Amino acid sequence: MAGSRKGPTARALGRFANNRVALLGLVAFVLILAAILTYPLWWAYSPNQIDLRALNKGPSASHWFGTDGVGRDVLARLMQGGRISLLVAITSVAVSLVIGFLVGAVSSFSGRVLDGAIMRLVDLAMTLPPVILLLVLASIVGTGIVPTIAVISLLSWPVLSRMVRARLLELRERDFVVAARGMGAGMGHLLFRHGLPNCIDILVVYATLQIANAILLEAGLSFLGLGIAPPEASWGNMLNAARSTSVLEQYVWQWMFPGAALVITLLAINFVGDGLRDAFDPRSDLQ
Amino acid sequence: MLPYILRRLATGLLMLVALSILVFVLLRLAPGDPIDAYVNPNVAMSQAEMAALRARLGFDQPLPVQYLAWLRAAATGDLGFSIQRNGVRVLPLVLERIGPTVLLMAAGLAIAIVLGIAAGILSAVRRNSPTDIGFSVVAFFGISSPAFLTAILGLYLFSVVLRWAPSGGMLTPGAPFSISDLLAHLVLPACLLSIGHAALIMRYMRASLLEVLNQDYVRTARAKGVKEFWVIMKHAVRNALLPVVTLIGSTIGIAVGGAIFIESVFNWPGMGLLLINAVDTRDYPVIMGATLIIGACVIVVNLLTDMAYAAVDPRIQVA
Amino acid sequence: MQLKTLTRAISVAALLGATALTTSAAAQEPKTITGGFDVGPGGFQGNFNPLAATGGFTWLNVYFEPLVNYNADLTAIEGALANEYAVNADKTEYTFKLANETWHDGKPFTSKDVKFTVDLAKNGETGTVFAARLNAVSSVEMPDERTAVIKLSRPDAGLLATLTKLMILPEHALSGMTPKELATGTWWATKPIGTGPFKFKQYVSDQYVELVADDDYRLGRPKADRVINRYFKNTAAAVAALRAGEIQFTYVESDDVAAFKDNKGFKVIEGQSFVANYLGFNQQVPLWKDVRVRQAVMHAIDRQAIIDSLYGGAATEANCGYVAKQLVPEGLNPYKYDPAKAKALLTEAGWDKINGSKPITWLTYYNTPQAANVMAAVQAMLAQVGINVVPRVVDTPTYNGIIYAGNPDFSQFPLVYAGLQNGPDPSGLNIGLNAVQKPPAGANFLRIDMPDLTKAFDAALAETNPQQLNARYQDVCKAMNANLPWATMWVANRYGVASAKLKDFVWVPAPAGGPYNAHPEKWSIEK
Repeated sequence: MAGSRKGPTARALGRFANNRVALLGLVAFVLILAAILTYPLWWAYSPNQIDLRALNKGPSASHWFGTDGVGRDVLARLMQGGRISLLVAITSVAVSLVIGFLVGAVSSFSGRVLDGAIMRLVDLAMTLPPVILLLVLASIVGTGIVPTIAVISLLSWPVLSRMVRARLLELRERDFVVAARGMGAGMGHLLFRHGLPNCIDILVVYATLQIANAILLEAGLSFLGLGIAPPEASWGNMLNAARSTSVLEQYVWQWMFPGAALVITLLAINFVGDGLRDAFDPRSDLQ
Repeated sequence: MLPYILRRLATGLLMLVALSILVFVLLRLAPGDPIDAYVNPNVAMSQAEMAALRARLGFDQPLPVQYLAWLRAAATGDLGFSIQRNGVRVLPLVLERIGPTVLLMAAGLAIAIVLGIAAGILSAVRRNSPTDIGFSVVAFFGISSPAFLTAILGLYLFSVVLRWAPSGGMLTPGAPFSISDLLAHLVLPACLLSIGHAALIMRYMRASLLEVLNQDYVRTARAKGVKEFWVIMKHAVRNALLPVVTLIGSTIGIAVGGAIFIESVFNWPGMGLLLINAVDTRDYPVIMGATLIIGACVIVVNLLTDMAYAAVDPRIQVA
Repeated sequence: MQLKTLTRAISVAALLGATALTTSAAAQEPKTITGGFDVGPGGFQGNFNPLAATGGFTWLNVYFEPLVNYNADLTAIEGALANEYAVNADKTEYTFKLANETWHDGKPFTSKDVKFTVDLAKNGETGTVFAARLNAVSSVEMPDERTAVIKLSRPDAGLLATLTKLMILPEHALSGMTPKELATGTWWATKPIGTGPFKFKQYVSDQYVELVADDDYRLGRPKADRVINRYFKNTAAAVAALRAGEIQFTYVESDDVAAFKDNKGFKVIEGQSFVANYLGFNQQVPLWKDVRVRQAVMHAIDRQAIIDSLYGGAATEANCGYVAKQLVPEGLNPYKYDPAKAKALLTEAGWDKINGSKPITWLTYYNTPQAANVMAAVQAMLAQVGINVVPRVVDTPTYNGIIYAGNPDFSQFPLVYAGLQNGPDPSGLNIGLNAVQKPPAGANFLRIDMPDLTKAFDAALAETNPQQLNARYQDVCKAMNANLPWATMWVANRYGVASAKLKDFVWVPAPAGGPYNAHPEKWSIEK
């Protein structure tokens, strides 16, 4: 009896496990996550501990990554910033996943008119220049974790809803769906019994890649002075210091470490996301 | 076709009105109005004076009245005056920013397309070789680097340290207009802008070409004895280009808003910088006007793209 | 053989051509001074209407002139378009002798222009910000072309200071427009006409403004041929351009000074900012009602340490709103850094019951990295004694929107970190501290109502004897120090950096950019 009896998800995971680059990314991400979550256990300094006598000191035995403009330890702020950045990214992706899936799925399973209306609304959301939405929303809600999550989620869900709707549109006409509706299945049943399982792969790939995007977006917002404001640490607002040429030249450690952390984390997530996309692609089996 | 176009344009117009209402409401929700932006907190002004200024600009009217006044004027093509830059009319201001925006995005995209496609082809052809791995690594870095960081580093390295490029702006102040001056100012921001896009295009090109190279007709061409170079260039690449073209198309759609980080770091007079400045100073007329124009552009571009798809692929029906 | 000759010929030709181009270009190049004149807190990019200017006077002064202006030290008011002025006995008549000058379009400058400008400035329709400040002016007489007399309905000690900001405008060019048209007209940004040493050439939207020399300026033809004001999104971009050699001058943040200090190619200009930085106690919330709590805040903050470490020593500790020697009396309470005393005062006042360790929003509009560091340091110091403040940085429109709202939500700004101009005219603080200046009349948004302080200010404003003025302001200082409406911190220095190639260049980091007599006609640049 030849042939694998594994289901499609198991097969996909198997393909993923064979992808060395994706595994590397996963390992790197897990390591970073571990470091970020556990740093108070192995590092003495706290991210908001100022020390006016140790301003702008370079990396040394006591401050491995140096100190910033008020004497705060850069490594501690890097770890704390990582927590904030990842928290914001993951939460906003979760929120936009939920909104995007619901809007796209409901739209695809609804009648023509409702579908059209919802999609026009989505178009409206996409026509708005993201710049404006970003800046205006951010100035309305102010800085901070919750507002930043709100802004990033609101920017990301329209694209997902379109992808979900496209995928589910083909499903709408299939027999089992028609049968289910004929038997009186409600929207909830359609969404979660039929819609969700068929979208898992798009959702997973989208989620992974969107986390990378959300981290970038949060960094950009904080860099612009919106997003997360000091004295809270975030990788984006630590990079804000690099605007000044004197910091760029003289206090390299203050921006290079957050920059490197950002790039490495994004690389890791992109590797994983890429690997997942390849893994879920049914044509990869035919080599 | 014609009824379809008309229908799309009509819906587009409705969307523009809805968009303007949305932006109007959002702006009024944001704390602070244009007069608040005008006053320097270090050199205080009395509230009575500020109220007088507001009354002159019509901000003491009820909100629906203000909006309708704006809408009525906009319908006749009068988008009002910028508050922050007194005396400057909004419509010419916004229209004169479209040129530099398009220039920057086009230059950046052109560089990205050339680099991305070339690198993608090389990578696919020399799959898993050092070239491929090298390009892939660079591409991943390109996707993973924050745009503002590369912009600042690029500016510092190429302008302040090496002095190879000017430090910002579109033309040398005071100098008569010359193409070489414009190009000199365009080079650095366009290159930095192209990094992210080139990386993405390269990866899509590579994936798409790899898929195509496995197809039967490629094998046939090789069997027929066609030179490898032409197999790739004439047969494979052309078919592999479709997803890349889709990608480029969607990038253009976003392009009209301007590349805010690059424009901000390089002070490039495009839409992005205009919007940032306008939101910073709560310049309501400029924000409303710019949003209207950008929205109109996006709608028109979307319509044209959909029509192009219909023309190219007969399987797609638009009507 | 032929190819070689051809290549050689081409290269020689190219070389000759290039040399010709560069020499001809060098020969034609006019002497141009380029700077970021509107960079920093004193600038106002994109504003061309002097009647509506709340900042950016440094640049406006290059092509417009007021009747009188501050000297470069900001210590006295001297003549500008008026050669001399005289005041009558009861301070209700100011007579100005006007200089012999022509407008940039050649028409003569006369007293008609002065009357026209003052009338415009009082007419709210033009978008002017001077209407309230010129309230006391009843009329402007023109006995002859070279004399203008401003008559007041009551004495106004601040009239001259207000006049320094009022740029005289040409009656012959603007009288044809209605005031409403002036407010939104394009004249200001396309072909304005002034009397200054340089005349307007062009404005490239959001990029730069170009001025060319006015050959028949009364104080001599300017040494430079052109002056260009380049716009920058932020100070860092201007500093980059300065270092790349593209501009010759800009305002810089104090953190950037270190890069220029030892560089022979640049000169660092340092000056007092005339802005007193303070922690403002919102009098409408119960937190700060007990003066012991306010005293505790003063004792808890080690101001000298912050000045030494975060300002590099370039700030002066302030124990009241003034730091100028003649305005600070003996015997002020220095509120030395003493966290133990602060804790004791808080216990005495029952801080645990008043607020305890609940977070207190600390609102500010200062968004430079240095300000963020300062606030972090102060936050840590206050936390040490048990006051938990949480900094909240917002942009200027948001800040103004919150504090000046019609029905303000006081819980949004129980404490602010702000600054107010305290010079060169010390009455600048009145608008923020006097009880009668509570909104909507003035800018006393903290609703400060301290009778001793109000009395002291009123006495100082009404003082007509210039010898007594310093003593009156010393009383104000004493009242501020005792009652602590603000926790006054310091007055910082501000910096500009100019290329060493600029000669006779005058710049002062005055609040709102001045104005002051910078004599742009003397500025020169060497190759």
